[in-house]
Amino acid sequence: MSALTGGAQGSKKRKKDANGTIDTTSLPSKRLAVEQDATATIQKLEDQIVESRKFYNNIATLLSMLNARTSKDEPNLTVAVALCRIFCRLIAGGDLKEQSRATEQEKIIVAWLKERCQEYQRALLDVIRQAEASFKVTALHLSMRLANARAAHLPGSETHVWLTGLFKGVFEALIEAREGESLRSEFVEQYLREYEDIRYYTFMQITVYAAERRNPEILERLIFIISQCDVVPQPEHEFTKSYVKLEKKDRNPLLSVGAHKKRAQEAWLAILKNELSDPQRKQLLRMMSHTIVPWFNRPELLMDFLTDSYNSGGSTSLLALSGLFYLIQEKNLDYPQFYPKLYSLLDADLLHSKHRSRFFRLMETFLASTHLPATLVASFIKRLSRLALNAPPTAIVAIVPFIYNLLKSHPTCTFMIHRAIHDKDWIAELEMEGMDDPFDPNEQDPTLTNAIESSLWEIEALQSHYHPNVAAIARIISEQFTKQAYNLEDFLDYTYQGMLIAELGVEERPFKKAPVIEFQIPKRIFTDRLLEEDRGEDTAPGSMLRQLWDFST
Amino acid sequence: MAPSQLKQLKASLHENRILGPQQSKKQKRANAKSGANRQNRIQRNAALQGIRERFNPFEIKAPVKSVKFGVATSSKAIRDRDYVRPGVTKSLGEERRRATLLKELHSRSKVGGILDRRFGENDPTMTPEEKAAERFARESQKRFRKEALFNLEDEEEDIQLTHMGQSISFGGDTNDDFREDDISGSDDDMFQNTQSSERKRSFIDEGGMGGVGDEDEEEHPERKKTKAEVMKELIAKSKFYKHERQKAKEDDEDLRAELDKELPSLFEVVQGASLPVKQGPLLGDSEKVEIPDNARKDSKAADREYDQRLKQMTFEKRSKPTDRIKTEEEKAEEEAERLKTLEMARLRRMRGEEGNLEDEEVRANQSDSELMPDDAKVFGLSQPSNIHLELGAEDEDDFVIDESLVETDSDASLSFIQNDWGEISEARSESEEEEDQMMNGLTFPVDGTREVLSAPTRGFESENGNLAFTYICPETHQHFLDIIKKIQTEDLPAVIQRIRALHHPRLHSDNKWKLARFSAVLVEHVSYMANQSERPSFTILENILRHIHSLAKNYPENVATAFRAHLRCIATERPLKFLPGDLVILTGVLTIFPTSDHFHTVTTPANLCLARYLGQSTIDSLTDLAIGAYIANLCIQYQVLAKRFIPEFMNYCLNALHMLCPVEIKEVHGFLPLRKPTRSLRLHCLKHTTYRRIQFWDILETELSPSSAEELKLSLICMFISLIDFAADLWSTKSAFKEMFDAAHNTLLRLSNSYREDISPHLQNQTKACVIKLERLFSQARTSRRPLALHNHRPLAIKTFVPKFEENFNPDRHYDPNQERAELNRLKAEHKRERKGAMRELRKDANFIAREALKEKKERDVAYEKKFKRIIADIQGEEGREANSYKREQKKRQGIR
Repeated sequence: MSALTGGAQGSKKRKKDANGTIDTTSLPSKRLAVEQDATATIQKLEDQIVESRKFYNNIATLLSMLNARTSKDEPNLTVAVALCRIFCRLIAGGDLKEQSRATEQEKIIVAWLKERCQEYQRALLDVIRQAEASFKVTALHLSMRLANARAAHLPGSETHVWLTGLFKGVFEALIEAREGESLRSEFVEQYLREYEDIRYYTFMQITVYAAERRNPEILERLIFIISQCDVVPQPEHEFTKSYVKLEKKDRNPLLSVGAHKKRAQEAWLAILKNELSDPQRKQLLRMMSHTIVPWFNRPELLMDFLTDSYNSGGSTSLLALSGLFYLIQEKNLDYPQFYPKLYSLLDADLLHSKHRSRFFRLMETFLASTHLPATLVASFIKRLSRLALNAPPTAIVAIVPFIYNLLKSHPTCTFMIHRAIHDKDWIAELEMEGMDDPFDPNEQDPTLTNAIESSLWEIEALQSHYHPNVAAIARIISEQFTKQAYNLEDFLDYTYQGMLIAELGVEERPFKKAPVIEFQIPKRIFTDRLLEEDRGEDTAPGSMLRQLWDFST
Repeated sequence: MAPSQLKQLKASLHENRILGPQQSKKQKRANAKSGANRQNRIQRNAALQGIRERFNPFEIKAPVKSVKFGVATSSKAIRDRDYVRPGVTKSLGEERRRATLLKELHSRSKVGGILDRRFGENDPTMTPEEKAAERFARESQKRFRKEALFNLEDEEEDIQLTHMGQSISFGGDTNDDFREDDISGSDDDMFQNTQSSERKRSFIDEGGMGGVGDEDEEEHPERKKTKAEVMKELIAKSKFYKHERQKAKEDDEDLRAELDKELPSLFEVVQGASLPVKQGPLLGDSEKVEIPDNARKDSKAADREYDQRLKQMTFEKRSKPTDRIKTEEEKAEEEAERLKTLEMARLRRMRGEEGNLEDEEVRANQSDSELMPDDAKVFGLSQPSNIHLELGAEDEDDFVIDESLVETDSDASLSFIQNDWGEISEARSESEEEEDQMMNGLTFPVDGTREVLSAPTRGFESENGNLAFTYICPETHQHFLDIIKKIQTEDLPAVIQRIRALHHPRLHSDNKWKLARFSAVLVEHVSYMANQSERPSFTILENILRHIHSLAKNYPENVATAFRAHLRCIATERPLKFLPGDLVILTGVLTIFPTSDHFHTVTTPANLCLARYLGQSTIDSLTDLAIGAYIANLCIQYQVLAKRFIPEFMNYCLNALHMLCPVEIKEVHGFLPLRKPTRSLRLHCLKHTTYRRIQFWDILETELSPSSAEELKLSLICMFISLIDFAADLWSTKSAFKEMFDAAHNTLLRLSNSYREDISPHLQNQTKACVIKLERLFSQARTSRRPLALHNHRPLAIKTFVPKFEENFNPDRHYDPNQERAELNRLKAEHKRERKGAMRELRKDANFIAREALKEKKERDVAYEKKFKRIIADIQGEEGREANSYKREQKKRQGIR
C-alpha cells in the first residue's frame, strides 16, 4: 500500500490504518484504482483549501461528499478525516475567530465557516449514533480531536465546548448509540481513563443527563461508564494527564481534587436517585464500598439510597448492610431498626443464598460488640440454630463456630447450652409434662423472643449429622470452652463440591487401612428373593426400598 | 610504736640465734665432729629464709580486693589468696625452665647423647645406700604389683638383683642387661620431653617401662622370639589354613559336579514312575561315591537308622480324640457370639470411637504444621485448594470372619477343591444351602464345578450348553464387554461365577490380583448395565452386586476404590443429574458397605453425594421427583441403624409435597427454604386416579399420558409421606424432634385439607395417619424434653509445676538440667582455662628464651671484646716493640755515624 500512496498522504494513511476502517489490500485492483482516484480528489480539494481562502467552497463540496456520496450507514471516512484536518487547521489558524476589526466580508466568511463546522459536527454525531461500530469509533476520535482543537484555540469557548457544546453532543450520542458497547469501551479506554479532564467533564455530563428520568437500558450504560472511573485521586494528587493543555492558574477546578470528587459525587447521586431496576441496585450495592464510596466527600449522602435498599428486603438488604453499617459507625447515622431488620434477614433462604459468607462476615462485625443486650444475642443464636436444622452442611459448618464465638463473648447466653435447675417445683413440672420451647420464632423484635430461656436443642440434634465432620463441629458446644474464639474465616466458603473432593480426592490413593465391608451378604437387594424363607418378613437392609419401589420390570 | 626496721632485724636475728656469742674453738671442733655443724647450718639457712620473707613486703602479693565476710566463707581458695607469693612462683618457674627448656635449647640441633636413667642418679640428696635401697624396693614392689593379680602359682622368687649390670641370680642364665624395650622406652621418653616442657618424667613411669621388659623375659624363658619371627610364624600358619580351606572347597565342587552329572537320570526316575522315586535315594549316589562298601560301616548305618526310627516313634504324635462334633445349639451359640462381636465392632465404628482419635490427631498435626493455623482443619474440613484425602480409619475384621466361615463349612474336611469351593462361594454364615442356591440355581451343580476345576480343559454338558466353561479374567471393562458380547444377559451371572471359579486364588498366585481387577470391572459393569436402554432385569443386577459383595470381602481396597472412582465421577460430571447406573451403584453402597459407620471411605462421600442432590437439584419434572424420591429413600435407608439426621432430606420431601399439593400452600413454614418448579406439577385429583407402587424405571419415563402422570403424582405424594413417616420414627428420639418436623406437620395438615372429597382414600388415610403419628410423637418429645445441660464437665485445673529443690545448693556451681549442655560448658571452661595457662606458659618460655639468648649474647660480646682487646694489645705491643727496635736501629745508625 505504501507503494500506491504518496508521502503526502502518509499521515492520513496511518490514521486509516490505526482505525482499521478501510482495508484496501483486500479490494480488487479495479476498485482499488477507483478508491485511489477518490482519495486523490479529496487530497486535491484539501490542498486547495489550505492553499487559498478562495477555495473554501471546497469544504461544502467535501461535506456533500461526506453525506451525499454514500448512504448514512457507510460514511466516507476519508472525507471525514480530511475535513477534520481542515477544520483543525482553520481553528488553529484563527479563521473561525471573529475579529472585532474584521471587514463585513470576513465576518460573513467566519460565520459561513462556523456554520459549516456545525454541520460537520452534526454529521459526525449522526455517524456516532447510527453507523457501524468501526465508523463510530473513528467518528468519536474525530469529534474528540475537533473538540480539543476548539477548546485549545478558541478562547472563552473552552467551557462551552465541554459543557454544552460539542462534547455534550458527543456524550449523548455515545450513550444513545445503538449497539455501542465497543464504542463505549473504546471511549472509556482511550479518553475516560486516560485523561482526567475528560473524566471531569464526563461526570458533569452524567449529572445533567441522569437528572431526568431515564429508562433502565440507558442507566445501565451510564452505570457502566461511571463505574469504570474507579481510580480515585488521592488528596495530594497532581493532575498531569490532561487532554487539553491546562492553564496553571489558581482556582482551576480541573486541578483540584475536591472539585473532581464533587463532580463524581454529583454524578453518582444523580444515578442513584434515578429509577433503578433491582439487578442494577444490587450491582451498585456490590460496588458500593470499593468504587462508589471513595468518590464521596460526604458519604452520608448515600444514606437515602442505602436505607431504601435495606428496607426493600431480600438479598438487596444483605448487600446494603455493609454500607449502612459504615454510615452508622462512622457518620453517626441513626437507624434504630438496624438489629430488628438484621434479625428479619435471617430467613429460610439466607443459608442457601450465595451471599451467605458475606453475610456471616458482616454479622460477625455487627454482633462483635459486648455491649449488646444478651436477649438480642440469644435471639440471633437461637434463630441461627433453628435455621441450621434446614441448612446444608456448608452452612452448619459456619453457624456452629459463630454461635460458639457469640456464647464466648456473651457468657450470659451460655444458659442456652447449660441450665442447671434448682427450683423444685419446676423440676417436678418437667418430670410430669416436659416442656415446650419458650422461644417464639414469629416474634419480629429480637429483644422479645424469649430465646434466652430456651436451649439449643437444634445444635445438639445436629451432633448426629450424617457428615462426620459437621457432627464433630456441632460437638464443640458440648465440650469445654477452652478455645478463645474460632476464626470464622476458616469455616466460610465451603461448598458441596469442595467437601466431596476433600473426601474423595482428585485421584485414588492407597488406603491406610482396608475399608470395612458389611459382613453379611444380603439375601436380596432389589427383588423379593427367598422371602418365604424369612416367613415373608423382610428384615434385610434396604427393606423400605423394596417395600416402596417396584423393581419387577 | 614499733621499733625501726634495722632494730627489728637485729632482734629477730638474735631470736633465731643467728647472731650470738662466738663459739669457742673447742666447741667448733666438737660440733664438726658430731655433724651438728651441718645441722646448724641448715637450721640457720631456714631461719634466714624466714626472716627474709618476713622483712620483704614485696614478696607477698596482697589480694586485689579485701575478702568479704571473711569469717563466713570457709572456702580455702579464698583464704589462700593472702599467701600468694609471686616471687617464689616466678623463681620456681625459672628454675624449672632452666632445668628443661634451657637444656633443650642447648641440645637443639644436636643428635644423640646419653641419658642416665638410673634411679636417683641425678638426685644429689640421696646417699648411695639410700639409692640402692630405693632401687631394691622399687624392683620388688613392681613385681608384686604386676604379677599378684593373675599369678596363680607362685613359682619363684622373682626379685633379681644386679650388680654391675650383671644378674646376680644363681640359675646361671646370662641375662643381658641391655634391652630393646629399655632403649625404645628411653627414646620415647626423650620424645616426650621434647614434646612438652611441662611434663616431667616420673619414676613410676620409668619403672613401668622396665617392668614390661621383665615380663617378656619370663613368658619365654628359653629364647625370646623376635617380632619378625613371630610374624613369620603367624603368616605361615594362616597360609596353611587357607590352603586347607581351598582344598575342602575344591572337594565340594567336585562332588557337586558329579551330582549334577547324574541329575538327568534322576529326573528320568522321578518322571518315569512314582514308585522308584521313593526308592531311588537322592543321597545314595553321592554316598556311594564317597563311602566305599564296607560291612562295618553298613552296620553302623543300620544302627543309626534304628536309632532314628526309635526317636521318631518316641516323638510321634499320639493319637488323640478328635474334636467333638458340635451340637446344633452350640453352633447357634457360636454363631450368635460371632454376630455379637461383629455388631459390637459396628457400633464402635458408628460412634466413631476407634481409630478416629488418631485420625483426629493426624489432622491436628497437619494443621499444626501449617504456617497459618486453620481452625476448620481440626474438624477435617479443608478448602478444595488444599485437598487432603481422608482415609478410612476402621477396624478390620473381615479376614478373620472369612476364616471362621470357611471352618464352619460342613464339607471343609473333604478335599482341597471342595474346601476352596466353600471359600469361593463365600459361605454365608446363616445358610449353606442358600449360597449353594445362589451358585447352583443359575449354573451347574457343585460336582460340575469340581470337575471343571480338576480338569479345566475337558468339555462339560450343562443346561446352558452354549456357554463356554473357560473365560479369560478381564482386566478392563472394555475387555469384559468383549467377552460377554455374545452372551445373553440372563447368563451373565453364570459367566461371572465361572470366571471367579476358574481364577480362584488357590489355583494360581496371579489370580489374586486378576480377581481384584475383575471386581473393579464388575462395579463398572453394574452401572453400565443399568444405564443401557434395554433395562436389564434387577435379578441380574442384584446377583452381580452380590458377587461384588462377596469379592469385596477378599479385595476390599479394589472394590472400595472402584466405588470411590464412580462417586468421584458423579461428583465432578453430573452432581445434580443422576443416571440409573448411579442409583444402582449407590444402592450397592447401601448393601456392601456399613452405612452406619461414623466415617467410612465410601459411605461418607456417597452420603454427601446423595445429600447434595437433595439439597441442590432443580425439580422440573416428575422424573426429577421420582429420582429424588429414590435418592431420599436411599438416604434414609443409609441411616436406619445410625439414625443420623439429614437436613436435606426433610427439605426435599417437604418441597416435593409443596409442589405436588393440589393447591398452593400459602403459609410459610418457618425456616423451610422453598423452591419453585419451572412448571406446575400439582396433582389434579382425577377421580379414578389410584395409588400404585412406583416402579424404578419411572425415573426415566419422560412421556407420560395425563392420567398416568396423575397416577405417578399421587403415588409420589404417598411415597414422600411414607418417607416422612419413616424418618419420624427414625429421629423421634432427637432432642429437636419438634423443630425438625414442625414444618412437615404443617405441610401435611394443609395437604390433607387441600384434598377433594373424591381423592384416593389410600392417600387420605395415609396422610391422616402420618399427621396423627407426628402429633403423638410431638407430645412424646414434649414430655421428654429438658433444658440442655451440656456442661457438667469437671472444671479444668490450672496446670501446676512442682518446683525442683536442690539440696546443698552452691551458687558457684552451675545446675544445668540439660546434661549435655552442662558437660559442654564444663569442657568449654576447661578448654579456656587450659588455653590461658598454655598461653601464659608459652609467653614466659619465650621471655626466658629471650633472656637466655641475651645473656648468651652478652657473654659472647664480652668474650669478643676481650679477645679484641687482647689482640689490639698484642698488636700494639708488637708495634711498640717494632718502634722501639726501629728507634734503636736509628740510634744505632746514628751512633754508627
